[in-house]
Amino acid sequence: MITLTSSDGETFKVDEVVAVKMQTIEHMMEDGCAETAIPVPNVTGKILAKAIDFIKKHVETTKKEELRAWDADFIKVDQATLYDLLMAANYLDIKGLLDLTCQRVADMIKGKSVEEIREIFNIENDFTPEEEKEIRKANQWAFE
Amino acid sequence: MAYSFPEEVLEHVFSFIHTDKDRNSISVVCKSWYAVERWSRRRIFVGNCYAVSPVIVTRRFPELRSVALKGKPHFADFNLVPEGWGGDVFPWIATMARAYPMLEELRLKRMVVTDESLELISRSFKNFKVLVLSSCEGFSTDGLAAIAANCRNLRELDLRESEVDDLSGHWLTHFPDSCTSLVSLNISCLGSEVSFSALERLVGRCPNLRTLRLNRAVPLERLPNLLRRAPQLVELGTGAYSAEPRPEVFSSLEGAFGSCKELKSLSGFWDVVPDYLPSIYSICSGITSLNLSYATIQSPDLIKLVTQCPNLQRLWVLDYIEDSGLEALAAHCKDLQELRVFPSEPYGVEPNVALTEQGLVSVSEGCPKLHSVLYFCRQMTNAALVSIAKNRPNMTRFRLCIIEPQTPDYQTMEPLDVGFGAIVEHCKELRRLSLSGLLTDRMFDYIGTHAKKLEMLSVAFAGDSDLGLHHVLFGCESLRKLEIRDCPFGDKALLANAAKLETMRSLWMSSCSVSYGACKLLGQKMPRLNVEVIDERGPLDSRPESCSVEKLYIYRSVAGPRRDMPQFVSTMDEDSELRLS
Repeated sequence: MITLTSSDGETFKVDEVVAVKMQTIEHMMEDGCAETAIPVPNVTGKILAKAIDFIKKHVETTKKEELRAWDADFIKVDQATLYDLLMAANYLDIKGLLDLTCQRVADMIKGKSVEEIREIFNIENDFTPEEEKEIRKANQWAFE
Repeated sequence: MAYSFPEEVLEHVFSFIHTDKDRNSISVVCKSWYAVERWSRRRIFVGNCYAVSPVIVTRRFPELRSVALKGKPHFADFNLVPEGWGGDVFPWIATMARAYPMLEELRLKRMVVTDESLELISRSFKNFKVLVLSSCEGFSTDGLAAIAANCRNLRELDLRESEVDDLSGHWLTHFPDSCTSLVSLNISCLGSEVSFSALERLVGRCPNLRTLRLNRAVPLERLPNLLRRAPQLVELGTGAYSAEPRPEVFSSLEGAFGSCKELKSLSGFWDVVPDYLPSIYSICSGITSLNLSYATIQSPDLIKLVTQCPNLQRLWVLDYIEDSGLEALAAHCKDLQELRVFPSEPYGVEPNVALTEQGLVSVSEGCPKLHSVLYFCRQMTNAALVSIAKNRPNMTRFRLCIIEPQTPDYQTMEPLDVGFGAIVEHCKELRRLSLSGLLTDRMFDYIGTHAKKLEMLSVAFAGDSDLGLHHVLFGCESLRKLEIRDCPFGDKALLANAAKLETMRSLWMSSCSVSYGACKLLGQKMPRLNVEVIDERGPLDSRPESCSVEKLYIYRSVAGPRRDMPQFVSTMDEDSELRLS
């Protein structure tokens, strides 16, 4: 069993077969740093719990249809949680979860206008009006 | 809260975003998104090769793997674009050879592709996989030999309707024995015989081959052997479908087809001998696409064939199918989405077949999924068009070609304004429209009023005045391509709607009434447009301003005027008083 400690002090005991799915943790295990509890400073307990759930489900289940349905349900979270899950998957290097969260974010982007995308992710437009105009022109005139 | 993603995460998110529109949107969101997007973009589509330059492309997108380019305007298909006009792909290949050594795919349409270009492609891109040359010209089978010999990972070689200088069929032997990667091979446009044994061996050693479109010169007797080596084929284009009626040839064919359980698409069928058609009956139930546009078989045989294909989604056929065949189609092929009916004798004065507006009406009634139509015929009525419009409000592409220009409704002798008006009014998703028959400015008014999603419009021998052109330019909000020939459209509408031209990909006008002076004025007013006058009658500078130009091609560009124009093409720009080519 491997023990993980979240940023807010929660501890999680997981089987090795689950822990190795977090590549970051697996590397630490290989380097012999897994004797004591491993701190996961960037991830809260709430998110770490969900990530562990994801891995457990994918380790236990092989039926593709069942997994797909479960994933679709799993990813129905609010935007803040989605973001935290994505960042956790990236930091812990959990491939399946990274794919799922990135795909979900991509789906939120598809078909939207530039303004809508900026609003959804609260992104500041740091182009000057001229710069933006030039890119839009090149996009529409050349690449569409 | 602001969602700031690390670059590698952004790149991963973007790897799930593919359409040009979405890629373009994300590039404008902010500077960091622009940067990640341009480095991670792998494919681009350039709808007009002169709207941008190879240098601009390679500078913005350093890691492309797949490039699609279109060259000549669409009316080149009707021989309206003179030889030597342009669209040479070589400058693109030369630049990409340096910038994209990992390029995998090239899809070119209506471009001039020389053997030199093909040789450069074959030598420059070690991982080259896909070459699609659609309606291209300028190359010979020598160029193809280079591709075959040097592209070790070739998956697709598709020559579509290209014009190839067919020196010999020997080029096919240049595929090395180690080539086993082919997925798609389309040589249907080639004239000469290819080496059959080389072809058989090639087909036999490519287990992933799904598309094989042979040329006419592959005799029917050779087909069974090819099919037996590729039972996994999904798309097949036969060669000539004729031979002396011999039972052993027939049963060999029938058996070979029977072993191809995956076949969904058939084409080819030159010189069909009807006795051999039943050889494909056993696989008809799986067929979704049938291209019989070279098959000179008559209606009864066509009916027998088509009624065995209940899952047909696409049918291209000659007008030999007649109204009776189209009725049978409507009754049996409820999944039909696309219909193209081509003229067997387009230059004949009298109709040679019993194909009228009724055939199209039948199909529009019987096929609920029909949304794409190309129909050549000799007569039409407003009533028929209104029926079609009401039957098929889901129509997205409607191209009607009444062979004789300015043909009125043959029952009422009225123009076809009301009929086409009904099409644009009822078919709210219409994206492409080709007009024919007798049409007045009123019809253009209907188009401008209703065709809000129309992207491409083709007009010939229609309209009364500039008002017609004005209605279209003013009203069609989604218009991208407009091509016009032989219409009484002049300077007024063009100059009044000059700004509109920057929202469209291109405008083509030939044999209209646009004056040389107006072209110069337009070029001066709109410096970001390339206003190209095509005139083979001699130098323009001696012309009076009021003289009509032969042909006009206007397109927006971020690359400025092109520098490869032949002497019969002149760009009208700020200095057009001084510089003419």
